[in-house]
Amino acid sequence: MTMLSSVAERLYWMGRYLERAEDSARLVAAYNHLIMDIPRAAELGWDVLVRILDAEPVFYQQYRVGNEQNVLRFLMAEQDSCASIPFAVRWARENVRTTRDVLPEETWEQINELYLYVSDAAEKSVGRRNRQAFLEEVISRCQRVNGMLSSSLPRDHAHRFLRLGHLLERSDMTTRLMDVGTGEILGRAGTHDATDPLIWTSLLQALSSFGAYRRMIGPLVEAQEVVGFVFQEPLLPRSVAFCLAEIRAELKPLKNHERAMRILNRGRRKLGKLQTEQMSREALHAYIDEFQALLADLHDAITASWFHPDTP
Amino acid sequence: MNESWKSYPSGSFFDELITPQGQPRAAARGVVRLLQKLPGHEMAERRAAAELAIQEMGISFTVYNEAGNIDRAWPFDIIPRVISARQWQAVSDGLRQRSLALNHFIQDIYNQQKILADGVVPADIVLESSNFKPQCMGMSPRFGVWAHICGSDLVRDGDGRFRVLEDNLRVPSGVSYMLENREITKRVLPELFENYSILPVDDYPSQLYQTLASLSPRERRRPCIVVLTPGIFNSAYFEHAYLAQGMGAELVEGRDLMVADDNCVYMRTVDGPVRVDVIYRRIDEDFMDPEAFRPESLLGVAGLMRAWKAGNVAIANAPGSGVADDKVIYAFVPEMIRYYLKQKPLLASVPTWLCMREKDREHVLKNLDQLVVKPANESGGYGIMVGPHSSAAVRRKFARLIEENPRNYVAQPTLALSTAPTYIDDAVEPRHLDLRPFILQGRDTWVTPGGLTRVALTRGSLVVNSSQGGGSKDTWIVEGKA
Repeated sequence: MTMLSSVAERLYWMGRYLERAEDSARLVAAYNHLIMDIPRAAELGWDVLVRILDAEPVFYQQYRVGNEQNVLRFLMAEQDSCASIPFAVRWARENVRTTRDVLPEETWEQINELYLYVSDAAEKSVGRRNRQAFLEEVISRCQRVNGMLSSSLPRDHAHRFLRLGHLLERSDMTTRLMDVGTGEILGRAGTHDATDPLIWTSLLQALSSFGAYRRMIGPLVEAQEVVGFVFQEPLLPRSVAFCLAEIRAELKPLKNHERAMRILNRGRRKLGKLQTEQMSREALHAYIDEFQALLADLHDAITASWFHPDTP
Repeated sequence: MNESWKSYPSGSFFDELITPQGQPRAAARGVVRLLQKLPGHEMAERRAAAELAIQEMGISFTVYNEAGNIDRAWPFDIIPRVISARQWQAVSDGLRQRSLALNHFIQDIYNQQKILADGVVPADIVLESSNFKPQCMGMSPRFGVWAHICGSDLVRDGDGRFRVLEDNLRVPSGVSYMLENREITKRVLPELFENYSILPVDDYPSQLYQTLASLSPRERRRPCIVVLTPGIFNSAYFEHAYLAQGMGAELVEGRDLMVADDNCVYMRTVDGPVRVDVIYRRIDEDFMDPEAFRPESLLGVAGLMRAWKAGNVAIANAPGSGVADDKVIYAFVPEMIRYYLKQKPLLASVPTWLCMREKDREHVLKNLDQLVVKPANESGGYGIMVGPHSSAAVRRKFARLIEENPRNYVAQPTLALSTAPTYIDDAVEPRHLDLRPFILQGRDTWVTPGGLTRVALTRGSLVVNSSQGGGSKDTWIVEGKA
């Protein structure tokens, strides 16, 4: 069974948006915890979240101050801001709406329920009291869709392109998150000794990988260990190495995969060269920048090879 | 009996479930008894459950207005309409016969035109119709069948007799709602199914698949079938997706297809171009191929007609089928049945005055307040005047329209459409309804058991279209005694 290019493209975006909704919810939830733990003097701002998502220009068109209320409204309740959870959910749904015929029957019902839940609850959940419950509900509903898909979607093109979108988005979000740890995004100078472990721990939590870290590396949370773990651990499903290996497996059986494969292999080599021991924060930040550019190239290659091929 | 049924009036129209004496009809006895026993609050709860199911299943249709497109939930009435299998068999036979004759007619029109030469149908009304497509002359699709999917609208008159009101041969829609209505009833009134033998409807997608597969120009175990949709903004998009999924077919838009130099149709896929055998076309033929019809159409596929005429792809319904979907032609269907099949029409139709005929026109203009006036060539209930419900100003407007373009108007008596109990607010009230069964024709002919019942939710209204405040009901064909 082959697949229409246009359908493959929508599935790819459905994978991306669903992952983005979940990851954004994780990010906000983890940050929410972190902010309560951090000493006041450290003064972490909520606007960090906007910066992680590269959404500063859009944000400051709408809001003057990057305070808790504004940032969370922007990320959790704004229907039309491209960085918000409702936006990601809406577009995941829109893409399912137009690919219902290749997905298991429950997909539409589940994603539609997720959409109805978010439309109804988002506005009420910006305040601290309902916030956590909302984020957890979004995460668990996204997981439900993913679980249902992974247990019933045949491993054909539909699965492949969904998975490509999902993995690419996940790599992108993971590298963005790690950039928080480099301090560049935090915009703070000087020492970080007191708050660093808290920040790295919350990053691991946002990646739902804290437990795995403790078991596989140990109880002490240290910057270099975390970076190595999150980028290079082949067994960790949210690590960059894991995502790239999976992307590779999905690309392999596709016709016309040379261009995407080349970029992917470049990424894998780059990953192998990462030496966390002597790396400065600045160097790590630069490395992450380059890596994100590579992921953008990979996205372009996928788009050009399978979604908008030249008319033969 | 619960409160909501107490004041149910009987006798003014033919009611599908209740006799003039206020008793349930034989086939409906079980349903009516059970619903009458439900406490009033439970009726409301079941309705709420149905609304929730509709929302969760995402059953919607799109309504266009100036503010843009709105997705509306599908309005559904929980009380099913019940018809006995014996009665249905006769209707079904009549529909089969009608569909056969209509296809003979289309095949004849685009080939020998014998029926015109013999003067059974006046040549000018066919050849001057905008639905007659000269591009199709000389074509002979497989089995001589053009209209593979036909949705005929039936009504029951004051005596309860089924009559055909019109035949939709272009791109009839509504079948997915028929299927979903059954799903909803199963969810919210499961106990109704215990004592009944109700003919299932859910094999429609596989019947459609078989019909379409039989048209494939290449002999293959699984021909490549696609559903061609105008896209997400079409009011019936939900249905297009639903049917594609039900058939395991690809749902495509014009830009997903192309016609190559070999005059074959290909779809663009991640593995490169793949040849298409059968297109279930859900876009109007005028927009289907900018090369053959409207050049400005962006929805279509350039060269599709070429590929079809070369016999490299089957299109259902075939381009040009609309020539038999015209309210003037409708008046001649009984003649077609006698002419092509040498049979007596099994199903009654509605007496129709053709404004193009001088005598008919005089009668129509004199009796505008009694008649229903319809444009010959519109669908969706648009442009219709219901005489007894119209104002003098509207009648004057229609008189002018008829004088200006008599060919474009027909008139029919205002029928006393049947009613069925419908749950409105907190009471059960009679509402008018119609029925759209679907007839499939390829190598074989098949008729849906029942069809889509549409109900006019406004009291006294005769307009059942979902775009104009209509709702729908599950339709049961039941075997034996309940």
